[in-house]
Amino acid sequence: MAKTPKDDPANYPALGRWLMFLDKKKNVDRIVYGLYALCTALFLADFLYYKKVYLDLEKFPGFYALYGFFMCAALVVCAKLMRRYLMRSEDYYAPHDVEAEEYPEDGLDRESVND
Amino acid sequence: MIDTFPPFLIFFIGAAILPLIPQGNLRSAISLIFPVISAWLIWTMPEGLHLSMAFVGLDITLLRVDKLATIFGLIFSLAAFLSLLYAWHVRDTVQQVAALLYAGSAIGAVFAGDLITLFFFWEGTAIASVFLIWARGTEGAYHTGMRYLIMQIASGVILIAGAALYFRTTGNVEFTSMSDLFAAGDIGTILIFFAFGIKCAFPLLHNWLQDSYPAATITGTVILSSFTTKLAVYSLARGFPGTEILIYIGAVMTLFPIFYAVIENDLRRVLAYSLNNQLGFMVVGVGIGTELALNGTAAHAFAHILYKSLLFMSVGAVLFRTGTAKGSELGGLYKTMPLTMIFCVVGAASISAFPLFSGFISKSLILSAAAHDHYYVIWAILLFASAGVFHHSGIKIPYFVFFAHDSGLRPKEAPWNMLLAMGLTAFLCIAIGAYPAPLYSLLPYDVDYVPYTTTHVITQLQLLFFSALAFTVLMRTGIYPPELKSINLDTDWTYRKAGPSVIHWFSWVIGSFYTWLTKLMSKTTERTIKRLYRSHGPEGQMARSWPTGAMVLSIAVLLGATLFINFLV
Repeated sequence: MAKTPKDDPANYPALGRWLMFLDKKKNVDRIVYGLYALCTALFLADFLYYKKVYLDLEKFPGFYALYGFFMCAALVVCAKLMRRYLMRSEDYYAPHDVEAEEYPEDGLDRESVND
Repeated sequence: MIDTFPPFLIFFIGAAILPLIPQGNLRSAISLIFPVISAWLIWTMPEGLHLSMAFVGLDITLLRVDKLATIFGLIFSLAAFLSLLYAWHVRDTVQQVAALLYAGSAIGAVFAGDLITLFFFWEGTAIASVFLIWARGTEGAYHTGMRYLIMQIASGVILIAGAALYFRTTGNVEFTSMSDLFAAGDIGTILIFFAFGIKCAFPLLHNWLQDSYPAATITGTVILSSFTTKLAVYSLARGFPGTEILIYIGAVMTLFPIFYAVIENDLRRVLAYSLNNQLGFMVVGVGIGTELALNGTAAHAFAHILYKSLLFMSVGAVLFRTGTAKGSELGGLYKTMPLTMIFCVVGAASISAFPLFSGFISKSLILSAAAHDHYYVIWAILLFASAGVFHHSGIKIPYFVFFAHDSGLRPKEAPWNMLLAMGLTAFLCIAIGAYPAPLYSLLPYDVDYVPYTTTHVITQLQLLFFSALAFTVLMRTGIYPPELKSINLDTDWTYRKAGPSVIHWFSWVIGSFYTWLTKLMSKTTERTIKRLYRSHGPEGQMARSWPTGAMVLSIAVLLGATLFINFLV
């Protein structure tokens, strides 16, 4: 973690300090397990109610769950493949593009909590 | 006697008097009054045609008030208010005036009853908005602004050309449904359709959006995100409802930007791609053209303007404090910007259509309309696009900015005005999502739709949480593509690289041919001169003095030849 020497959580807003439990890997794992449990529950919920839908396909148990999961995985894999052909360096269009430029300082108000 | 006061004029008056007020909090406060007055005027305007007059032999109507125009007018006023509040700290007269003129032009266009009035406001939005890009003040922003302006003005020029041909066909310039003429292949309406398509960022015409929005100023992007494209959606809903080709155009629009959004590093450009994707949903709604679908388009435009502004605001606040909006540079900001993080998550949940957030009650109208009218493939595409938008806008944006790896940046929370603007917008996103009845009552047609059913809530939660599961699994297995300092080629490559390269190649071929030709000519001339010099020059054969005898001999030969020819003839 790239902390500056004078970085002090005491300077953070109270809400930010409270949220710092997210820094611990153990807690992140807990959230992930929570997500797994939630997904299982939602999948099983499909068997518990009458599905009022337009298509027969939608009646398939867990259709929305499976569709969401696999289509998103496919989306990411395809997008990753696209990078091979489409990715260029940031200064590809420079100087006719803002991508390689810094945002002008006069439009910013950089302030650190540690200042 | 003016029976009603045009709301766009409020903004134009505001733009005229604002520079007279000393720069500071007073000016920022006064700028907020104009959208409020405008919203009040729109709310109280009686339905019907107002301010109709003859203009160079054409019947024009400055104000056509009906439910479709009113809902867009109201959301534009609201968006202007929230953006100006967000831009409270800006002390740049050009941006302040441009924002008012831009919002005023967009509202003017929405209430335009004819194509000529529409054209004037259409170009107004183009010219006013480009200053929000140029205001960044860098060389890159200048060039990007020029590209943006060329596209926007081109759209206007095509619109007026279409309007002229439309006038020749129909004998009027009324801005009403042109679907039948379009289906019959009328060239004028095709041109108008094309002009709307440029502004609506149809596939292949879309790239001005992703090119220009991330180049504008922090506050400029928030303002830009609300008006131009939604004005185009309104125009399509007014001019081309039920035009089937829009369904397919819209479906493609929802699809391809999500792939780009996954691999894009500049988060404001990610949002521009997802904006494009959301427009696709609205365009599909216009294409289906039933009451349910058009209600869906209007509701989704309303909800979309709010949550998209909110997302641009939160990323803008991060840019304001850190100097960057790139995924590769950010991370871990939740510790010091927790409120901005929460507002961003509200925007993300709204665009992803989580139950109790605004997207849930608006997007579903369009999906239901698609399924109801048996467009099952389109429905499946929209469902995929819904999951995809959650993936890149809903998870990627908050995750890479506020969580992920710790960037070491410890910026202060956003300034009060940004927090207030984000807070109000977030409140509206949740209010609309939790209690949609007021929004539904504003829609152009009566709403007979219940978004909160057991099936809808559970299936939507399944779709979203399993998409989140896919993200988690891909992230934990290291398959998810990391954020890299890079750009990705899109259709703008054709006119930014390929086009200029082809022109360079042609100029090289023609130039080389010209050089070769002139060299050849000068060489040939030189050689001829040399030869002539050799034969006719002072030392040449032909320049020698000949004896008289040779002359007599040649005359004798000549006479002999003449005699011989005479004899033969």
